[in-house]
Amino acid sequence: MSTLLRVNQVEKTFPLPGGKTYVALKDIDLEIRTGEFIALIGHSGCGKSTLLSMVAGLTLPTGGVVILDGKTITAPGPDRMVVFQNYSLLPWLTVRQNIALAVDTVCKDYPKEQRQQIIESHLDLVGLRAAADKPPAQLSGGMKQRVAIARALALRPQVLLLDEPFGALDALTRGNLQEQLMKICQDHQITAVMVTHDVDEAVLLSDRVVMLTNGPEASIGGILSIDIPRPRQRLEVVNHPSYYSFRSEIIYFLNQQKRLKKLRGRQVHVVARHGLEKINLEIGFVPLTACAPLMVAKEKGFFAKHGLEEVSLVRESNWRGICDGIRNGSLDAAQMPAGMPMWMSLGGGETQPIPIVTALTLTRNGNGITLAKRFYEQGIHTLADLRRYLLDAPSEQHTFGVVHPSSMHSLLLQYWLAAGGINPQQDVSLKGIPPAQMVANLQAGSIDGYCVGEPWNFRAAMEGIGYTIATDLEIWPGHPGKVLGVREDWANAYPNTHIALVKALLEACRYCGDPDHHEEIRHLLAQRAYLSTSVDYIHLGDPNQLACELAMPMREYAHHQFFAGAGNRPSRTEHLWIMTQMARWGEVPFPRNWVEIVERVCRVGVFSTAARELGIDISYERAPIQLFDGSSFHGQDPFAYLQSLTVKHDVYVAEVVLPSRVAMS
Amino acid sequence: MTTTLSSSSVTPPKSRIDWSQYRDQVLPPIIGVIGFLVIWQILASSGIIRLPGPLDVWNDERSRYLILNPFYYNSPLDQGLFRQTMASLQRVAIGYCSAGLVGIALGIAVGSSLWLNRALDPLFQFLRMVAPLAWVPIALAALQQNEPAALFVIFITSIWPVLINTAVGVRQIPEDYINVARVLKLSRIDFFFKVLLPSALPYIFTGLRIGIGLAWLAIIAAEIVMSGVPGIGFFIWDAYQQNYVTEIIVAVVYIGSVGLILDRLMALLQNKIARR
Repeated sequence: MSTLLRVNQVEKTFPLPGGKTYVALKDIDLEIRTGEFIALIGHSGCGKSTLLSMVAGLTLPTGGVVILDGKTITAPGPDRMVVFQNYSLLPWLTVRQNIALAVDTVCKDYPKEQRQQIIESHLDLVGLRAAADKPPAQLSGGMKQRVAIARALALRPQVLLLDEPFGALDALTRGNLQEQLMKICQDHQITAVMVTHDVDEAVLLSDRVVMLTNGPEASIGGILSIDIPRPRQRLEVVNHPSYYSFRSEIIYFLNQQKRLKKLRGRQVHVVARHGLEKINLEIGFVPLTACAPLMVAKEKGFFAKHGLEEVSLVRESNWRGICDGIRNGSLDAAQMPAGMPMWMSLGGGETQPIPIVTALTLTRNGNGITLAKRFYEQGIHTLADLRRYLLDAPSEQHTFGVVHPSSMHSLLLQYWLAAGGINPQQDVSLKGIPPAQMVANLQAGSIDGYCVGEPWNFRAAMEGIGYTIATDLEIWPGHPGKVLGVREDWANAYPNTHIALVKALLEACRYCGDPDHHEEIRHLLAQRAYLSTSVDYIHLGDPNQLACELAMPMREYAHHQFFAGAGNRPSRTEHLWIMTQMARWGEVPFPRNWVEIVERVCRVGVFSTAARELGIDISYERAPIQLFDGSSFHGQDPFAYLQSLTVKHDVYVAEVVLPSRVAMS
Repeated sequence: MTTTLSSSSVTPPKSRIDWSQYRDQVLPPIIGVIGFLVIWQILASSGIIRLPGPLDVWNDERSRYLILNPFYYNSPLDQGLFRQTMASLQRVAIGYCSAGLVGIALGIAVGSSLWLNRALDPLFQFLRMVAPLAWVPIALAALQQNEPAALFVIFITSIWPVLINTAVGVRQIPEDYINVARVLKLSRIDFFFKVLLPSALPYIFTGLRIGIGLAWLAIIAAEIVMSGVPGIGFFIWDAYQQNYVTEIIVAVVYIGSVGLILDRLMALLQNKIARR
């Protein structure tokens, strides 16, 4: 399809009193194809309506151009009919006269009968024949908007522009009108641009959703293609497997915008006290049993004990929020999946590499692989069973949920599958889903299994939806689960705070590791501010007990190991293994300068200082990593290790240039 | 007894419903008017105010003749009160209609042009504050004749509300209507007749309704001062000169009634034409 409308480098400024200007929109580039339905979504005041009225020609851009069908837009015209939120019907005319005014004005060259016919057919199109001779005041809001849509469509515009058309209507009317509009657009191949703040409406109606960032200088923050097949039904579209991921993508974007705005509005000030450079910290976490050390440090006063008196824990629903929070500086530190510091430092997810350091391993173990219950019923009890099943039916697509490409879950699941002869990128597909939504997705059937931290494996088992086919103890006992991550420049700017933070959390880890506290921690974790779930799903126990008794497969629990002295130390070997695995699946390049990168990511010195000051014994013996398939990784020659792996993606090696290290103060 | 009660509660008598409707609508004004007349009569008979009471107005020979013979005609200055009123109304009609036409036209001009508005608004605001009576000597001095002077006073008094309301109405056309017109590319003439005028109509009618009241007030003032023209205003002045207070009272009743009728007529017209 050809490009019909082109928004090219458009900028809009408004003069402010006092000679200044307000830049509402900047660098807007958008191409709309014939027959496409585009939704513009963003917070109020982000300039989405301004963008629409620039397409309409009602206001003109102060920079750049809007081109429709090869012609630059300089004035409004009937080829770009607008449906306004408040209907904009002329109240002294009847419904028919309102449509007639438009038709008679624009189609003056047509014979009278033909105009008459256009008017009548559009009255029928929106089902308003019975109300044709009523003035708008006697119509309901929904009927008025139908008149406005009929008036617009009667002129056969090249683009239909809708400015929050259903915003003022009640939910029921809105739903009906959305379906009618969708049908009309579908039947007549109408190109439409709609401003909305309703996420569901955007997903339902659009081919693409254009998400605008907050003003000033609002721009396009992302474009989401909604590839749900048409014709769509309002009540059925929610069952499409991608529906909720589209929806949550938009909501995530809007929430992120809201938070950025708040962050921008807040005075960012650093409170220094007790010889620490910064004692007001925002620390991000994701609700999982593994967040226990952060929760304990806060609730039991370990932060305050070490001088960090103003710590607030910021709950994120997924790891992407942690990533963005650390990247944009709204979070000082965060609980991270063990692979995330390396992933971010290497520019995973095609982002700019940003050096992240870790000085503490918060948890080990605590993860499991869950499959939907029907696999158990078909006799799949081991990896070999699963391989046989998957390879026997290659036409069926099986999807596994992972929380983030950098998480140990993802790496362990892929390692596990590959060790069983299943290529995790060809034989199955992986999908990123926030931990707390795994169970619901498994139940809905949009995924066949997942690898995630507790309590989500146990919960699926308890609810009879799935079963744990393997816990991490069977893959790599003692693997790092979550680590503490901060930006390298943050660590360099606040070295004493960093040590205090590690001390507080290390003490919290020790507290969590004591079986006498498990009952208390379970109840604390279940609270609304943390996991917000039933205490029955949360279990803390012996992390070394080998689990997965297949005779009683629904009651496994992968326990976390919170404290192990030297085990809380950030291990270079482990992070190097993580690096090899992420490179193995093509997630990041394998850095030629891997020694430098590993050295920068693992801040062993900070950990050692903290542990020494707490009097914790951290003596250890260097040992290779032992994995369940009998291989071991000692970290001497990662290139050779990568070579030795048979199932893998194309590995590419590149120099990863990190911003130069700032001298430590 | 029981049967009576139950039957009456099932089918209440019809006349009762009608009465209850009238009771709330009609009775209070009647009581009000009668009460006013009674108090007036008491005040007059007791001598607290030196004004004839309602009974005196009826009993007086001259005023009763006026009441009973509204259509008699002896000479231009000696005719029935209905004729006098019509003479005044004719003047009001001419003055008010020209004020309406000029006011609407000027109002649209001022409302559509910011420049014109800036130029003329201070002038209008100033002239608006001048009382009808103050215009009388100016009108007489300028026009030298009673009849045109009276028309001018009506014109100049009633034009302001029309003009200012029209201007406001034009200025307050909702942005949406203008956007619709812009998107449809309505011609200037179409815009004027199909959007601007209908949109401003309620404002214009508000102005016209205030204007008619002012015009009627002004004619009395104008006629009182301008001797020798037939009309209800001069009639009052003449009666006062001859100390026929009862006649004045009858004339006042006419003036009030006509004013009321004019206002109601305008309201009716407004409802008919400019209803949304």
